[in-house]
Amino acid sequence: MNEKNKDIFSRIESYYTDYGQRAKELKNEGIKIIGYMCSLIPLEIITAAGCVPFRMRGDVHEPITKGDINLETIACPFYRSCFDLSVKGKYDFLDGSIVAHGCDSMARTYAVWKYTLDLPYSHFVNLPHTISESSREFFRAGLNTFRKSLGKFAGKEISDDDLAEAIGLYNENRDKVRALYELRKPDPPIVSGTEITKILTVGASLPVAEANKLFDEVLEELRQRKESPFKKVRRIMIDGACMDNIELVKLIEDLGGNVVVDTLCNGTRDNLPHTDTGNDPLSALADRYLDKINCPRTYRENKEQDLQKELESRFGDIGFFARESKADAAILYVYKYCDPFGFEVPVRKAYFESIKLPLLYLEDEYSAGTIGQLKTRIQAFLEMIQ
Amino acid sequence: MAEEEKKKRKKRRTATKAAASIGPMVKAAIGGTIKAKEEGKKIAYTFIVCLYDEILRAMDIVPVWTENYAGVCGAKRDAERFLERAESLGFSRSLCTYALCGLGFDQWREELGEMPPEAPWGGQARPDMMLSSGQILCDPRNKWYQAAQQFMPDVPIHNVDLPYPLYEDDIHFTDIQDYYIKHIIEELRGLVTFLEKQTGKKMDYDRLSGLVDLGEKTWNLIHETYELRRAVPTPMGTGDAMNTMVPMTFMLGTQEAYDFYVGLNKELKEKIARKEGVIENEKYRLLWGGGLPSWFALADFNYFNSKGAVFPAETTYRMVQPIYHMYMPETNDPIERLAWRWFGYWVYWYDKARKRPGSHPDVEWLIQYIEDYQIDGIVMHEAFSCRTWHLGLIWQLNQLAKIYKPIPVLVLGKDGRENKASRELPSLVLESDIIDITSYSEVDTRNRIDAFIETLESVKKGKTI
Amino acid sequence: MEYYAGVDIGSTMTKVVIMNKGIISSIIGPTGPEQRRLANKVMEKALNKADLAFESINYIVATGYGRINVPFADKQVTEITCHAKGVADFFPEAKTVIDIGGQDSKGIKIDNGRPIDFVMNDKCAAGSGRYLEITADALGIKIEDMGELALQSTNPALISNICTIFAEQEVVSKLAEGVPLRDLVAGVLESLANRVSRMVKRLNVEEAVVITGGVAKNAGLVKALSDKLGYHVSVPPEPLLTGAVGAALLGKDIVRKAIENGESPERKERSLKEIEIL
Repeated sequence: MNEKNKDIFSRIESYYTDYGQRAKELKNEGIKIIGYMCSLIPLEIITAAGCVPFRMRGDVHEPITKGDINLETIACPFYRSCFDLSVKGKYDFLDGSIVAHGCDSMARTYAVWKYTLDLPYSHFVNLPHTISESSREFFRAGLNTFRKSLGKFAGKEISDDDLAEAIGLYNENRDKVRALYELRKPDPPIVSGTEITKILTVGASLPVAEANKLFDEVLEELRQRKESPFKKVRRIMIDGACMDNIELVKLIEDLGGNVVVDTLCNGTRDNLPHTDTGNDPLSALADRYLDKINCPRTYRENKEQDLQKELESRFGDIGFFARESKADAAILYVYKYCDPFGFEVPVRKAYFESIKLPLLYLEDEYSAGTIGQLKTRIQAFLEMIQ
Repeated sequence: MAEEEKKKRKKRRTATKAAASIGPMVKAAIGGTIKAKEEGKKIAYTFIVCLYDEILRAMDIVPVWTENYAGVCGAKRDAERFLERAESLGFSRSLCTYALCGLGFDQWREELGEMPPEAPWGGQARPDMMLSSGQILCDPRNKWYQAAQQFMPDVPIHNVDLPYPLYEDDIHFTDIQDYYIKHIIEELRGLVTFLEKQTGKKMDYDRLSGLVDLGEKTWNLIHETYELRRAVPTPMGTGDAMNTMVPMTFMLGTQEAYDFYVGLNKELKEKIARKEGVIENEKYRLLWGGGLPSWFALADFNYFNSKGAVFPAETTYRMVQPIYHMYMPETNDPIERLAWRWFGYWVYWYDKARKRPGSHPDVEWLIQYIEDYQIDGIVMHEAFSCRTWHLGLIWQLNQLAKIYKPIPVLVLGKDGRENKASRELPSLVLESDIIDITSYSEVDTRNRIDAFIETLESVKKGKTI
Repeated sequence: MEYYAGVDIGSTMTKVVIMNKGIISSIIGPTGPEQRRLANKVMEKALNKADLAFESINYIVATGYGRINVPFADKQVTEITCHAKGVADFFPEAKTVIDIGGQDSKGIKIDNGRPIDFVMNDKCAAGSGRYLEITADALGIKIEDMGELALQSTNPALISNICTIFAEQEVVSKLAEGVPLRDLVAGVLESLANRVSRMVKRLNVEEAVVITGGVAKNAGLVKALSDKLGYHVSVPPEPLLTGAVGAALLGKDIVRKAIENGESPERKERSLKEIEIL
């Protein structure tokens, strides 16, 4: 390991452990920091406004206490953790927060969030549930409202050119994430799932231009790894919602599996799809966040009335990534109280069966304690697929 | 269920005859859907408060309210076997139990090719189509039928997107209503096209217009009827309202629904004239401030009554507001009128909230009822399986206390003079579920109610003169 | 002679077996807070019983909740794989295994002694032996007597609460209401059977179904579970030992396979220091 290598990885470690340190510095320079928690927030608009989008994280090691005073325990455990940390002052540097119509846990608690934290700015991004001409137009209009509202707060009228520039930066970012995923393809992979989780988590806490630079440095260093430092063991895919901490991935890798690909919000779901360029930027953004992000909260019409074809059209991306990464097995990791994913568990299982990928389904809460309890299941699963 | 237990549970006492008539009405309606199916009529699974009730009626589509059937299973304490089946299929028990009950039931019916054994009230008819409506308030509405397609792949789904704007400080709803209305109208027209394709017949817009008239008239009548409950003593409580919501939510756009509220209106006026209350000695007036009830434990309302407490009002299932207080454009297009009615309902409290610092439409609604109905305390229910109606409740209570406490009241002193006083507004949050009885403990619930009544009593003693 | 040992440290009981062709020695003792010391002690007893020296054991596999606390094991394997192996030894035709432990319960689908799918509940006492302990305690009876009592009932009481704490309240208040003890006990067993069968049904249950774990000795529960699942449920002669037997047999497989391949079996360094008592 050369000096520079050490430098980049220790920087990532430091950003990961002291999450938000760069945002705090930027805040002190007078830049507005806007928090969000869901892949359905059009970050391009925030960046185009001259603000920095900051992905708020939960903390699986921090018991939820103060947050429960205002938020029911039947909400999504990840969301509760984010709220708890916010109430405890972890994200006091935020100037605003944007909540998406991602799920009931988000939509139904928008007021709780807005009034309790009382940040200078807040906005709710109202995504439609269906994909149609009308819903695209509706969503575009809503994004335009957001653009005007945020522009007013930021003191900057956001032009189409501003948007096009931000779209360019984010598309670049997605190319770099793609390049990182390429390094997971060899057997054994060049980069571990734990490392990737840290890198992507850190990236979401930085201005996109800085994240791009950081990814470049990481890629350069990783490409120096002529030989994989990892053992050749079973290749695991993770499917599910949001995972912004390394605990589960690390547990799998400690128990003797290589996590090589995912269909997670903080992974391929959000980090790969591009925004189209060249035409009306707002329409292109509406298209990306409504259609290109394959989240169960958005209803995709079943035109075939045939289960197998329906599975393929809804979950084809899972099969694509599994094949591309030569995954041997998958883990479906779903949080308790998650209606959008929870109602898909049987049908997702059916899909995994149809592509003949052994699957371990885990329902969990957002806590290091409960993740630890999954050890036996994961170890047994790894024994099973040997 | 053990026979002894069945016998032990007597029929719940209601205050009004109208509420007592609901049980048989629902039973007949469910039986009617099974019969309609046999007669070859088109059956649609759908959700209550879906906005398009009149469209279904105008097309002679027979709606099967799947939440209702789950509620019936819950009320009959016979949901557990369907919930267990859903769990065996791989659904988490933390999800919406209405949906789990429905999915368990449907999978069982599909597997047998007939109704599951001893299905409550004859069972739930197999649909010809399923109408989802994600709206912005309920994920299961978007996911339930999609999950059901795993064992009914031949039954088509049509999903109707029905958004409304959330309350924002910097955006007035009139600035954005145009694109909301436009999209809602488009979605409703899309639904009509879908139904026309399913039934093979064209929509009769004159008929629809007539039904929307009837629907609007019913909304206004319900509002006026429920407002009668402001009387002291109140002639009807929330326990009854959990029955009288049936025509509003399952039968809108029918003459039968309208007539029901004409009858209820008359009954309440008569009771008021006779000064006949839900209970003889009304000591505490409570607001059911949020949360769906535990359908298997509606008798808890009677328990409240036995302690001198009544519920003159509730926000739950008050799914109408007076149309004459909403903006309605001059139009003959019934689809447009439906869209505006929907929008008007959801933004009903927005302007009012703007006038009180720190307020919010949900809190403003509570405040209005606290004042209108002379409320002494608030009760809410947190059903663990439903995020839709049960997130944000604790915050509403906290925010209410912040911006609306103490409540100024005028108290008539011993000498007959009016004195200014203020009082606390105690609240109680019950925890259980809508239909999952395994989450319920009667002992625990009634302990909490007892403690709450004691609080009300001490507040009353301490603060009034 | 070759000897293999399986050490199964469950949440409430620690089990050790030593095998060559069959079981030559087995010991069952409670798991205490000092699992490491206890593992040594139980192992020592088993060795004494078999009249063997520690060094003569060819391979030792540890399993169960406390498997990492067995310093002298060559390998750690989860109880899921071990139960599958152990059950197949008693019942080669077994396809579904239900294991109800002190703090958790599992369902395992097996094929030729290997797990092919499983479900597990370990986050709540309600589906475990602990549930029986608590309700037996609340009813003032011995846990061993529950099965026989329940079989005398013709009208099991309905215990509706899932939560162990609520269920405890419920049985106490039903007892006060005068519900006969045998009906209450039958109700308790039914509700446990219900919970376990709900979980196991998430697997595609196939015959033969075998139950393991200490609770398997409770005839009332086995009957209730059979009724719920609609399949006959078989009980091995020593249901508490299947995990340890499976562990020992896996050790044997590992050694055999290594010999076939001309290698020496992969093993951790046995920490003899920790077992100075030997």
